Amino acid sequence: MKKVLIANRGEIAVRIIRACKEMGIQTVAVYSVADRDSLHVTLADEAVCIGGARSSESYLKMENIISAAVNTGADAVHPGFGFLSENSVFSKLCADCDITFIGPSGAVIDNMGNKAKAKSMMIEAGVSVVPGSDGTVTLEEGLIVAREIGYPVLIKASSGGGGKGMRIAHTESEFSGGYKAAALEAMNSFGDDAMYIEKFIVNPKHIEFQILADSFGNVVHLGERDCSVQRRNQKILEEAPSSSLTDEQRKEMGEASVKAAKFVNYCNAGTIEYVVTDDKYYFIEMNTRIQVEHPVTEMITGVDLIKEQIKIASGKPLGFTQEDITFNGHSIEARINAEDPKMNFRPSPGEITALHVPGGFGIRFDSAVYTGYKISPFYDSMVGKLIVHGKTRKEAISKMRRALEELIIDGITDNTKLLYLILHNPEFVKGKFNTGFIEKYIDSLLDYR
Amino acid sequence: MTLKDAFEKRKTDLNEFKEKRRKIRPFIKGDDKIPEGLYEKCPSCEASLHSEQVKNNSFICTECGEHIRVRAIDRIYLTTDKYSFKEYGSDYLSKNPLNIENYEDKLRKLKDSNGINEAYVYGTARINGEKCVIGVMDSYFLMGSMGSVVGEKVTKTFELATAKNVPVIIFTASGGARMQEGIYSLMQMAKTSTEIAKFSEGGGLYISVLTHPTTGGVTASFATLGDIIIAEPKALIGFAGPRVIEQTIGQTLPEGFQRSEFLLSKGFIDKVVHRNDIKPLLGKLLKLHRRSDA
Repeated sequence: MKKVLIANRGEIAVRIIRACKEMGIQTVAVYSVADRDSLHVTLADEAVCIGGARSSESYLKMENIISAAVNTGADAVHPGFGFLSENSVFSKLCADCDITFIGPSGAVIDNMGNKAKAKSMMIEAGVSVVPGSDGTVTLEEGLIVAREIGYPVLIKASSGGGGKGMRIAHTESEFSGGYKAAALEAMNSFGDDAMYIEKFIVNPKHIEFQILADSFGNVVHLGERDCSVQRRNQKILEEAPSSSLTDEQRKEMGEASVKAAKFVNYCNAGTIEYVVTDDKYYFIEMNTRIQVEHPVTEMITGVDLIKEQIKIASGKPLGFTQEDITFNGHSIEARINAEDPKMNFRPSPGEITALHVPGGFGIRFDSAVYTGYKISPFYDSMVGKLIVHGKTRKEAISKMRRALEELIIDGITDNTKLLYLILHNPEFVKGKFNTGFIEKYIDSLLDYR
Repeated sequence: MTLKDAFEKRKTDLNEFKEKRRKIRPFIKGDDKIPEGLYEKCPSCEASLHSEQVKNNSFICTECGEHIRVRAIDRIYLTTDKYSFKEYGSDYLSKNPLNIENYEDKLRKLKDSNGINEAYVYGTARINGEKCVIGVMDSYFLMGSMGSVVGEKVTKTFELATAKNVPVIIFTASGGARMQEGIYSLMQMAKTSTEIAKFSEGGGLYISVLTHPTTGGVTASFATLGDIIIAEPKALIGFAGPRVIEQTIGQTLPEGFQRSEFLLSKGFIDKVVHRNDIKPLLGKLLKLHRRSDA
């Protein structure tokens, strides 16, 4: 692999370019007209404009990206996360044009990316899943399933992700409206409105396992990430390891994750997501891509996941076995968003007039912003990820508090104060939190000036 | 907003946040964690000085060169050869002849806290190898005031020197006669002066070193009776204080009045010597005056 085209933007594009540079691989950035001044364009060896500001005119426009790859002679494409990262058509298209797609094959994405299909495969593999519909259902079929498994239920888009195309119905009266809204959102976002139903487990822990699989059938897991601090299914704070898993649970879930990946002949980096309540865990979905929160796993394992993705895609076997993977310390990631939590988390695009990035031992800031950079209203509001690594969870919390105190992004409104208050919440500090955390404490978390 | 302003604002916000949390967890002040006496203030330039550093600099202000008042024990340490000092008369204790309230309590407390029995310490010692009897007044002990014990110890100083056939060196620092002992204090002026006259007639050498402040009955008796009188720079030396004199004569006093340098120019003292030069000078003087029969 000599040259990689990064079919993404922002922080993750910069992250991938950095990994490529360290591996001596040439990089090609693609960008929309709105991203002309973006950092990934500046840092890449080459950059190609692929269309208009709206994602549908650029970062989702497969033919433009493939053309850019062919014209620049890129032999691989890294899709990052979001956009085309879990699009099986794109993966196949790359393969057809003899360009390596850094990720699983189209067939695997089809199987796992389709949440309903993935669920039935997991049942077959013997991994416990949340009770729900057997595959996709129509509105009418869904109603029957919901009645069987009992409310509340989740209505989810089969091709959904990132909280889009998903609704909760607490009663039968909410079902029909929820189904239609979710289906419409899924159609707009993913071009697919196939829906499935599952039991909504109230306020579970959200725990996911990172796996790496090579093309020789070797699969390892790199432990879990606890992403329970989320608001409306948007993750806010992630950490590794989870303070609520016992060693036995960790081992059992890790083995289940490896089993799941092997069963679907998975290749490259992936994430198996579970909901955990008390002593039970249920598979919910598999993400066939790198995750936003991948750095916390990197920090505690010392494994560079992006580099591993590239190595696997180059046809190299994994350089380690499960026994070689050890966990060192504790890592927390905070997503820094250009948004105003006090105004119902309204995005706050604009120009960054002053920027100070925290530093010091155990601090990492993955971002694509700089002083004078204009945050575009066209894309998601994440401006960076602040990642800390400490010996213990307590130390990691102290480091994160300290780093947030130092972080200054002036010119826009951001969520650092909210994050800072989360880091001071006694229940969070004790590690006693689930996906209901933000909702429960929102008033005290917004109690700042 | 500039980054500097943003940092300022952040600091304000954080302080506010921490203040809010303090209401839940009481704030424990850390003042008592700093040990007493770690720092002291220069009486002249008011600079904050690290006590240890000041001590290592012969108690001279590292900022302005002010000669800070020295305790008797420290003066002996600065002036005499190591381990050469042997104290005499450490068991004398003042009586309370005028029945002044709390006077005995006060003396006991000062004795315990200063480790000396009175405002004057004396004994035999060597300075650069030369034998002598040295006496030092301690201005931290009731302002180095002279009561019956101080007078007695000064007298004994000369008796000891006569017996040992060596010179006497006295460092003075005193507010004058001790009020608490009234007339008994004033009688010490005559007593010490008589003893010095006898010592002088016997051919003994007496070097007086005047340090800040040397005033009142001490100035009017043994302090200024030295064969050689030297003084530390800027030391206040006089009988009545400048304010009393001004009020009495109804005139403004000249600048530097009653200071060492002023007195040197009027011929009252022989030399103004920097603290660091006192020991070498004393050593030289003692060597020059060494008696062949000693």
